[in-house]
Amino acid sequence: MSKKGNKTPEQQQYEKLEQKHELKRPVLKNCIRAFWVGGLICTVGQAITYFYIYFFNFTEQTAGNPTVATMIFISMLLTGFGVYDRLGQFAGAGSAVPVTGFGNAVISAAIEHRTEGFVLGVGGNMFKLAGSVILFGVFSAFVVALIKTLLIIWGVI
Amino acid sequence: MKKRLLLMNAFSLILLSGCSDDGKVTDSDLALLKTTHPPAVLIDKNTKENLDLVQNIEHDVEKMKELYDVAVVKSNGDTLVAYKVKHLQRFHMKKIEKNMTKMLEEKYPDENFIVSSDYKIFIEAVELQEKMKNPDFTDKKAKKKLDKIIKLKNEMT
Repeated sequence: MSKKGNKTPEQQQYEKLEQKHELKRPVLKNCIRAFWVGGLICTVGQAITYFYIYFFNFTEQTAGNPTVATMIFISMLLTGFGVYDRLGQFAGAGSAVPVTGFGNAVISAAIEHRTEGFVLGVGGNMFKLAGSVILFGVFSAFVVALIKTLLIIWGVI
Repeated sequence: MKKRLLLMNAFSLILLSGCSDDGKVTDSDLALLKTTHPPAVLIDKNTKENLDLVQNIEHDVEKMKELYDVAVVKSNGDTLVAYKVKHLQRFHMKKIEKNMTKMLEEKYPDENFIVSSDYKIFIEAVELQEKMKNPDFTDKKAKKKLDKIIKLKNEMT
């Protein structure tokens, strides 16, 4: 049975009224904003990579780790200053998907639960959202590494 | 508002003060941005034969159409070949490296090649070539620097 069939005439009428007044989601505009802001964050990341290559003893292969750490650190500072929240509201996924979104998730949870104390508040809730990123990130990395190891053992790659 | 302006000014001053170097811009400073075409370098055993050999190696590598800049440094034991890959060809980086190593080893079986597409290795190779122009820069120092570059190339994390 369809969902509509369950509804009373009043409910259906209300649904029609609601649809009439509902604001349309500007999907294309959101996508463009996410694209530009996400791209901008990645450009900053690329600049930091080149900075590490030029001024420190990092190669293209090894510059990735300090770059990620720096980007997370910057986004943590920006979250603390209240800048990243505005950026998040403007760009949506464009600011959440890059690694900077991870720093934002950690610090915003810590700020939110600050009033509950350091141990149970900040300590207990800091990784509320970022915890799943770490868990599934580590787990998927493990699975991919396992597959790669097996493929190497079998001589496929 | 005034405070913010002052802060921004101070920040831009700090940023710009990085530019107040002695004003001498060398090729290795710009190696990431432009094509430098560094001449092949020979450390130790400066014989005509060896010179021809390095130049031939550079010539052979430059023939590959996927590349646009090649630096070759040869010492007693090792020959370092650093190159830059054209942007869209960077998808085939591993294949290019494999083909190049195969070609070089077939053509020059007596040489021990270290092949790298890493920007950092390229910059360091150009820097070494620039330093070699200075008569105070001894072969011993050059060999040490080359060993350092090779060590850097083999670093994974």
